[in-house]
Amino acid sequence: MIDTPWPAGPFEFGEVLRLALALFGAILVSEALRRFIRLPRIAGYALAGLLLGPMGLGWFAGQDMLRFRMLIDLALALLLFELGVQVNLRWLRTNLWVVAGSLLESGLAFAAVFGLLRFVFHVDGKLSAVIAAIAMGTSPAVVMRVAAELQAQGQVSQRILVMTALNTAYAIIASKLIIGGLHGAFREDWVLAVMHPLYLVLGSFGMGAALAIAFKLLRRHFDFSDEQGGALLFALLLLTLAALEALNLPSGLAPLVGGIMVKFIDPRPHLWPRYFGTAGAVLFILLFVLTGAAVTWHDLLIGGGMAGALLLVRGLAKGCGVVAFGPLSGLSLKQSLLVGAALSPMAAMALLLVQDVRLIYPAFGDKAAAVVLTLMVVLEIVGAIAVQWALHKAGETREGGR
Amino acid sequence: MGLGPFAQSDALTLGVELELQLVNTHDYDLVGSAPDLLRLLSRKGAPWDIKPEITMSMIEIATGVCHRYAEVHDQLAEIRDALVSCADSLNIGIAGGGTHSFQHWSERKISPTERFDYLSDLYGYLAKQFTIFGQHVHVGCPDADLALYLLHGLSRYVPHFIALSASSPFVQGHDTGFHSARLNSVFAFPLSGRAPFVETWEDFGTYFESMVNTGVVKSMKDFYWDIRPKPEFGTVEVRVMDTPLTIGRAAQLAAFIQSVARYLIVERPFMPGEGDYLVYTFNRFQACRFGNQGIYVDPQTNEHRVLSDELVGTFSKIEPHAVALGAQGACAELLQGLRAGLSDATLLRDEHALTRSFPEVVQRQCQRWRSG
Repeated sequence: MIDTPWPAGPFEFGEVLRLALALFGAILVSEALRRFIRLPRIAGYALAGLLLGPMGLGWFAGQDMLRFRMLIDLALALLLFELGVQVNLRWLRTNLWVVAGSLLESGLAFAAVFGLLRFVFHVDGKLSAVIAAIAMGTSPAVVMRVAAELQAQGQVSQRILVMTALNTAYAIIASKLIIGGLHGAFREDWVLAVMHPLYLVLGSFGMGAALAIAFKLLRRHFDFSDEQGGALLFALLLLTLAALEALNLPSGLAPLVGGIMVKFIDPRPHLWPRYFGTAGAVLFILLFVLTGAAVTWHDLLIGGGMAGALLLVRGLAKGCGVVAFGPLSGLSLKQSLLVGAALSPMAAMALLLVQDVRLIYPAFGDKAAAVVLTLMVVLEIVGAIAVQWALHKAGETREGGR
Repeated sequence: MGLGPFAQSDALTLGVELELQLVNTHDYDLVGSAPDLLRLLSRKGAPWDIKPEITMSMIEIATGVCHRYAEVHDQLAEIRDALVSCADSLNIGIAGGGTHSFQHWSERKISPTERFDYLSDLYGYLAKQFTIFGQHVHVGCPDADLALYLLHGLSRYVPHFIALSASSPFVQGHDTGFHSARLNSVFAFPLSGRAPFVETWEDFGTYFESMVNTGVVKSMKDFYWDIRPKPEFGTVEVRVMDTPLTIGRAAQLAAFIQSVARYLIVERPFMPGEGDYLVYTFNRFQACRFGNQGIYVDPQTNEHRVLSDELVGTFSKIEPHAVALGAQGACAELLQGLRAGLSDATLLRDEHALTRSFPEVVQRQCQRWRSG
């Protein structure tokens, strides 16, 4: 090593360059697709992820996901907390049909996916149940980002967000219950089989409550709608994530529950800069690139056929579930159909749940992963288009109507 | 469409229309949920008269023909309760107030009907700027000439009506300094302002015909006057009020107008004249800008008074008529509020000073609307 202040080749670039190029690539691809075929921006990011990932240039490997896990967790925590704040429990108590519709669409999606896997594809029962649980959830990231991009406002937008919040909660809880149950069942430890899932769920609710109370206390002294307030919220959520990790609790449920509790204990408007400003935007772009890059040709080969069939039955089940109670809950039939269509996206949340399974049971998780990852990457892109289409059709976007 | 005959209605009957704000419960911005709310209300199959307005985040409710203040109040309360219950199941909020404090006009959407499409094409951005919320009070008249007398007589009281109802201090996220900034949006329309001074229905018909011949108007609807005759109903329609924050105050204002009308018809305290209108726009501006602390110039004596003093005088003049109409309680409450220096506009300013947040002001407006 020669001691010189001047740069000398060969140049070595690390992580930073790859992230920079990933951002560049994602933004260029997404902007081009938006201008020429009006694709939602996030679908462009995901496509860029596909291109940069193992299926394309190979800049990112599926395993990179683990290294960026903190980043993904944080991005999701921000989204889930914001989503939670938009869920008004008092409203759900007034209009129980919304809850009924949510339970039905998620229940039907679970049943349809489980049934197809178990009885048509003869997949192992436990594996079918885990995949079915994950498939109940709609991607909060896709739904929120597309709605924000279109500045959508109205009944359909609101229902999509609330249904997403609820089915995301079901998906996390159910998958943790099933995994936790399996954990105990594998060891034939029945106390563990019952207690562990219970710990995960109650622990998450407890952390959510702590987050909500901390938020409310801080709000007395800080204005979350200014720049510093936004940073404070960042810090609060990071703290929550750290605590969740230390306690071995899932990262998604507590921020969502925390957001819902905030709105419940303090019904005032809670506003902060949308998407958490520039830093937030970078986080979310990387989130979508990374999920796009998570799938491999191998996954596609094993999972592709099944994923196609799953996509259809899941979509149908969700659609029927929403339409069944839609009119009773105050929507028109058309609006119900649009909400049903917009619940199709799957993205980062599903990815995280798959990773959690993989961490505990590598072999078990790999089979599930191939199917879910393929399903996810398709529904991330197609689902984003579906959400955009539904919001346009509902006339709730900024440009829509007159 | 011609002017048509002036329908007969019982003297001093009342009909009240209120335009209301529809907001979301997340950030309390306006939301275009009128079609959803109307759909839900129609499923209830109730007989209420509830209509869409020019942009989709507005809704208009109306009472039937009422004789007494109590009837107006009860009908409004019934409609309000039905609205609130439907709005609750849609998770939207309903608020009174003449303007939404921080909405942006460009984000509004025109309701998809033929009339509103026409208005939007004609007036361009003014149509969306017209997302303002007023109270209209119809007063029944047995004949058309009396209606015109009443119209010009009530014109002297336009500042009174404005000051008592003012509830629009904020526009597009700023304090305008006005008590009723809403009326500034009405001024922008070419056919707004005062009605021409004609005293017989025949002369009014002539005026209307010549306006139609100019090609500028097609029907009475094209006039945005502060007070206009409504021949189909056989009423005079007072349109200068902001929608108050509660139905209670809306009903009280109707009672006040009814009492003033009875005072004018029974006592004939003055003969209206074109000269009344010399100070009309000045008086109106003062009331909009300063509320009951504005200057009121007496059109008869040219004496300058503070509007609140003028109002106190008016309340005592109309008292026997309020008593005769069963409206004395309502008028007494308005007077009490006036003496205490309370108005919806000052109330909104106080809440903004307290919360420093327009969304929170709107949230409180929604709460107030539910019960008051």
